[in-house]
Amino acid sequence: MSILSFCLLSLLVVSGTDAAKLSLQSPRFTISSSNATQLRAEPISLAQQPAPLTLGLTDVLKLTFQVIEKDEGKGVQPHQTFLRFYDKVSGEEGIQPIRVTPAGKAKFELNMARPPTSLPPTTSSDPLSVSLLLGSFEYSPVQFDMFDIYLPESQPAPQHPDEATFHPLPTIVHTFRAEQKLPPRPISATFAALVLAPWAVLLGLTVKLCRDVAPFTTIYKGWGIVRPPKKLIPSTPLAQA
Amino acid sequence: MFSRWTLVTLLGLALSGAAKSSTGDSVLVVLDSISDKDNFSQFFNGLTDKGYDLTFRSPKDAKPTIIEDDVAQFSHVVLFSPDSKNYAQDITPQSLVTLLEKGSNLLVALPSKKQTIITSLAPEFSLILPPPGTPLVSHFPERDTPVTVVPVTPPSSNPILTPNTPPVWFSGVPFAYGNNPLLVPILNAPAESFAADSGSDSGADAVVEAADKGGEGLWAGSQMGLVAGFQALGGARATWVGGVELFSDEYAQKELPQGVKPGNTQFTSDVAAWTFQESLALRIDNVTHHLVGETGPRETYTINDNVVFTAHISKYNSGKSAWEPYSGITDMQLEFTMLDPHIRTSLPPATGNPGEYSVTFRVPDRHGVFKFIIDYKRKGWTHLQSSTVVPVVPPRHDGYPRFLSAAWPYYIGAISTSIGFVLFSTLWLAGDDREANKKFAKTTKTE
Repeated sequence: MSILSFCLLSLLVVSGTDAAKLSLQSPRFTISSSNATQLRAEPISLAQQPAPLTLGLTDVLKLTFQVIEKDEGKGVQPHQTFLRFYDKVSGEEGIQPIRVTPAGKAKFELNMARPPTSLPPTTSSDPLSVSLLLGSFEYSPVQFDMFDIYLPESQPAPQHPDEATFHPLPTIVHTFRAEQKLPPRPISATFAALVLAPWAVLLGLTVKLCRDVAPFTTIYKGWGIVRPPKKLIPSTPLAQA
Repeated sequence: MFSRWTLVTLLGLALSGAAKSSTGDSVLVVLDSISDKDNFSQFFNGLTDKGYDLTFRSPKDAKPTIIEDDVAQFSHVVLFSPDSKNYAQDITPQSLVTLLEKGSNLLVALPSKKQTIITSLAPEFSLILPPPGTPLVSHFPERDTPVTVVPVTPPSSNPILTPNTPPVWFSGVPFAYGNNPLLVPILNAPAESFAADSGSDSGADAVVEAADKGGEGLWAGSQMGLVAGFQALGGARATWVGGVELFSDEYAQKELPQGVKPGNTQFTSDVAAWTFQESLALRIDNVTHHLVGETGPRETYTINDNVVFTAHISKYNSGKSAWEPYSGITDMQLEFTMLDPHIRTSLPPATGNPGEYSVTFRVPDRHGVFKFIIDYKRKGWTHLQSSTVVPVVPPRHDGYPRFLSAAWPYYIGAISTSIGFVLFSTLWLAGDDREANKKFAKTTKTE
């Protein structure tokens, strides 16, 4: 009884982890320029990512690998062999399926002169992280992070014309007409004082006149009359009257 | 004592379950057959507990109609009938769009196998469906269920969903988003998923060829949507779900590969709450404007006036079934427009008064008929729109500055002339010499 239950238990354990694992054999990449000179060719290590790749506007990236079963080493054609280009900063993603032969051999070519439509929009400063997704009905799914790649800058993703109204719009400040400019106050005060200048002249001349004529006039002191002085200068007209 | 407490707890329970919608409680559910009601019992019971009145019908039933005599009969309509090709006369793509225009909300499940009127309506909402017969398929993560039943992790930063919702089980079709800012993505497909109709590894070539066929390329990746909302311009909300099994009891109880319970119940409850205008529902209570220093609005304003504009905004609290003042909008803007915005400033929440947003600004020195415009549109939230017309006039004849400093010489001149005239008149009239007159009169007499 206990042996039976032990066998059943072990069956249960085995059924949970029955799917075999997939692996890649000899993954390699090659970057060559448009005139077929090789710029960089390296094997891809799954344990440690290679240094980030850079592609120019006319370069070609070639990727080759073989999908094998990890334990037995025979080639496998999985249901899903996708290359995923992902921009961590903007969140844009592109999925490119790769054709795999029944023997498991796969070859992928990325020609920047004729880029595939599945590439996401790229910026000049942020790299795309490239990973390989392998999915199969018979084997455990596995994802390999292959490398980072810097692609030339692309046009940004097209936006709906109303998209801008769903975010804060730029502030508009009205430029007001300049305040009416007045001349400085001291100048106005000066000219106001100048306007009063004739009064000063009038006052000054009146005082002079009063002083000159004072000896020869009857002075209406308190509205009583005071006799004029007796002695008159003979040449003055009053003396002759 | 015992009976009083039970009464109180019952009352409390009854009140706490009153999470009603802000636009009404009547829901029409269209199911393929009435027996499907039991498959979604948890979802429907959740709605009933919240306070909704559910009415069930099948697509071919003539009654109850969704629109009768040009009036929408229900506040919300749920279409869980992906397998029906024939609908009654009242359910057509045009009538569903009219329903949204009339303010009723819509929750639609897309068919996975057949092409029905729903597949023809989806492109009107800028949703691009994959070729027929290609459901969502994902080999990741490794699990016991078929590849078409996919656990999807909801996004953590979507305001519609509760944070940290566990992954949900999904089965159905993905769709691509068209370029429409009214779409509100709620759940996107996992990055490793794709749409395919093959059932074994030998279908690998077909998958690669599908990428070259058709204009859209390969249906794969996290740019595909599974549940998307649409905020119509009239205020109604429509949610499109890639498959109806998301709401089923079976998926709500199926254990995830990690061994935890799935988040289907929580997720569907949140999606229904958003669609039925319970959550993220805003409204403008009133807007006022007045001159700085006054309290009441004026009929017209003069150029260069300082004007205070105030708006009161409420958010619907479904727990209390009431609109409450809401001060959480930080990026609202006010535009003062005459044909084009002359002024656009931010309208910040006023400290101290909940729900009040206020800004003070100087009216431009152009006269004309202006409008205070609030146009607040954000993904997932109700659109707030308000427009108040106010004329702006140039200053009246006595509104200009007076007694300018440049006029001082003129004031002094005028005043001094007046004073001089008065003084001269006084002196002339008072300075009459009578003695001289008498003498003159005497001399003329003697001659």
